[in-house]
Amino acid sequence: MKKKIVSSLLAAVMVSSMLAGCGQSNDAGSAPADAAGEAPAQEQSNETEAEAETEAPAAEEAGEEVTLTVLAGQSTTDAGIEDMIDEALAEKYPNITLEWECVDWGNDFQPKMQQYLQSGLPDIMIGKAQDVATYAPQGVLAEIDSTYLDRGLDAARENVTIDGKTYGMVYNALYQGVYYNKDMFAENGWEVPKTMDDLQAIIDDCNAKGIKPFASHMVDTWSIGNVTMQFMMNDVFNNTPDWGDQFREGKVSFADSEEMKTAYEYNKLIFDNTYPDTFSTEQTDCDAKMVMGEAAMKVSGSWSIQNFLDIDESFNFGIFPFPNQTGDSKLIFEPNITIMTSAQTEHQDAVNQVLDVLTSDKELAVEIYDYTKTASMLKDVSPTFENPSQADIDQYAADGNIVDVTLGNNQLVWGGFQEENAKDIAAWLQGQESFEDALAASDGRVDASSAN
Amino acid sequence: MAKKTKSSMEDKMARQYLILVLPGFLIFTVGLIIPLLLSLRYSLTDWDGMATEKIFVGLKNYVKLFQDKEFLDSWWFTIKFTVGNTLIQNIAALLFAVALDSGIKAKKIYRTVFFVPCLISAVIVGFIWLKMFSNVLPAMNDWLGTNFNFLLFGDAKTVLGGLLIANNWQWIGYWMLIYLAGLQSVPSELYEAAKVDGAGAIKRFFNVTIPMLAPAITICVVGITTGSLKVYDLLVSSTKGGPGRASTSVIYKTYTTAINGRQYGYGSAMTVTLVIALLAVALIQVKGLKSKEVQA
Repeated sequence: MKKKIVSSLLAAVMVSSMLAGCGQSNDAGSAPADAAGEAPAQEQSNETEAEAETEAPAAEEAGEEVTLTVLAGQSTTDAGIEDMIDEALAEKYPNITLEWECVDWGNDFQPKMQQYLQSGLPDIMIGKAQDVATYAPQGVLAEIDSTYLDRGLDAARENVTIDGKTYGMVYNALYQGVYYNKDMFAENGWEVPKTMDDLQAIIDDCNAKGIKPFASHMVDTWSIGNVTMQFMMNDVFNNTPDWGDQFREGKVSFADSEEMKTAYEYNKLIFDNTYPDTFSTEQTDCDAKMVMGEAAMKVSGSWSIQNFLDIDESFNFGIFPFPNQTGDSKLIFEPNITIMTSAQTEHQDAVNQVLDVLTSDKELAVEIYDYTKTASMLKDVSPTFENPSQADIDQYAADGNIVDVTLGNNQLVWGGFQEENAKDIAAWLQGQESFEDALAASDGRVDASSAN
Repeated sequence: MAKKTKSSMEDKMARQYLILVLPGFLIFTVGLIIPLLLSLRYSLTDWDGMATEKIFVGLKNYVKLFQDKEFLDSWWFTIKFTVGNTLIQNIAALLFAVALDSGIKAKKIYRTVFFVPCLISAVIVGFIWLKMFSNVLPAMNDWLGTNFNFLLFGDAKTVLGGLLIANNWQWIGYWMLIYLAGLQSVPSELYEAAKVDGAGAIKRFFNVTIPMLAPAITICVVGITTGSLKVYDLLVSSTKGGPGRASTSVIYKTYTTAINGRQYGYGSAMTVTLVIALLAVALIQVKGLKSKEVQA
C-alpha cells in the first residue's frame, strides 16, 4: 500500500512537472515572436513601450528611485567602465541605479542571454554589434530612439539595423590588423607589406636575424578564431559578402573554396613563425614579448593597445591589414560596445536617461575611450590617449580602406561556429587532425553558422 | 479488534514516514527529477534554446550522437581521465593513509597539508596549475638551468597528464581521510590474530587491511569515478577543453554544444546519455564492490 502511495505521488509529480515545463516555455515565448510571428511581437513590444512611456514618466520624473538591470558582456579591455558610468549617471540622474552583471562576452554573454530569454531580459544589455542580428529577430530588443542614435556616427548603424529599425547603439570601435614594431621596422628597412610576397620577405629577414616574426597566444582559442576572421574578411568576404548565405544554400563550402582554404592556411604561417610555446603563452605575456622587441608583428586588435601601453607607454607601434592574395586588403573595424535595450522594460524613460548620459556626456565618453584605448563612435568626441597607430588608421580611413567585420560575423556567427572552427584549426596545427578534416568539420556544422 | 488496532497503527506510522520523507522527496524531485525529465523531453526536439518552437525530431539527436566524432572523442578523453584518476587517487590516497596510520611523526601536519587543496575551488585549482605550468615551473627551469618540459597544458599529447596532476593534487588528501578513517576502525585484534598465525606485514595488508577497507574502497572508487566523469570546472579555468579539443570532456562538450552552439535539443541528448552512463557505472561498481565487503 505504502509503495502504491509513493509511486502514485511520484508519477503525479512527474506528469505535473512535464506539464509545467510545457507551460513555462509557452509563457516565456508569448512575448517574443518566433520567426513567423515577428511583426506581431514587435507590435506587442511597442505597445508595452508605449504603456511604459505613459506610466513611467510621472513616477520617474518625480525622482522616484529606479533600479535598472544591466547585463554587460565585456571584452578584456572593458572591465571597470561600469564604475565610470555609475558615477556619471549619479551626477545627472541620481534616482537611477544600475544593477550590473558583468560577464565575459566570449564565453558567457550568449549563455546568459539564452537564460534571460526564458526568464525575461534585463533592461539594458551591452554586447557587440553582431548580437543585434542574433537577438533582434527574436523580437525581444527595443528600437533605439533616434535622439541618441543621432549622436553617434552613421558608420555604426548599418549592421545594427534590421528592416529599417536600429536596435543597437554602438559606442566604441576596435581596429584589427597586424600591429608592428615601428622602430624595428625602421631599423631593418622594412616597409609595410601590401602583398603576401612582401610579408614573406619580412618573415624571412626576421628569421635570418633571429627575430620572431609574430607574437601570438594560441592558448586562447578566441585568438585563433579572431585572426581567422581577419583573414576571411580580406580573402573571402571583401569579394563575396554573402559567402555565408551561399554556404548555407550549399553553393560553396570550406573544402572547395580556395579562398577559405587560404584563410585557414595563414594560421599555419603564423604558427610556423611564432614562439614554440604559443599554446602555453597567455595574452599578457605575448604582448609583453612584443613590447620588449622579441617579436616584430602581432595579428591582433585594439585590445592589445591597453597592454602595450601599460607595459611601456613609449612603445612605438603601427597597424596594417594582413595582406591578402589580391593585394587590396583593408584594415578591419569592429563596432564593439553596443547598447541594446529590452522591448519589455517597465522603465523605458529611465533606460532612455541612461542612453542620454552615455551619448551626451563627452567627459565620460573620453574617459571610457582613454581607459579602453578604443576609438569613438560618437560625433565630436575623440579619445585623448596617445595612440601611435592612429596615423596609420587615419590613412586607411582617408583612403577608404576600412571594412566592418560585423559583416563577416553576421554571415558566419561566432558562438557555435567560428569558435568551434578555431578548435579544429588548433587541432590541425598541433597535428591532431588533418587540414582536410578541419575544413570538413567546418562544413559539417553548417547548421550552426547562422544565428537564426 | 486487535488486528484493526495494529492496522491503524501501521497506517499512522506510514503517514509519519511519508511526512518525514516528503521534504527530501520534493527537493529531489524539483532539483533533479524535473530537470532530468525536461532534458529527456528537449532531447527529442531540435530546440535551439532561444526560439519558442520546439520541433519534435524523435530519436534523431541520439542517432546523430553516435556519428559525432567530436562527441565520441570527448567520451574517450573523459574515460582516460576517469581511469587515470581512479587508479592514481585510490592507490596514492591508500598509501598516504597507511603511512599516516603507522605512527609517523607530525602526522597532523601532513594530514592538513594533504587535505587543504580539496578546500580550494576546482576553478582556482585550474588557474593555479595553468600558472604553474606556464610561468612558475618554466621560470624554475631557467633558475636551475634545467630543461624539463613543463608546458603540459600547451600540447595535445601532454594535456591529459597535466590535468591528472592538477586533479590528483586537489583530491588525494580528501580520499586519504576516508581511508584513514577506515583504517582506524579496523580492530587491532585482527592484526594480532594474523600475527599469531605468522602473517607478515604484506600478508596482513592484503588479507586484513584491504578486506576491512572494502566499504571505504567502495565509497572512494564510486566517488572518484563519478566525479571524474563529470569534470568541467577544472577545464574551464585551465585548458578550456584544448588545445584544439584535446581535453574536452563530455560535460564541456555538452555545455558548448547546448549553450554556445545553440543546439539545446542535441545537447540534452548528450546529457541523457551521460546520466545513463553515470548510473550504469555507479551501479556496476557498487554491486561489484559490495559483494567483496566484509563485516568486522
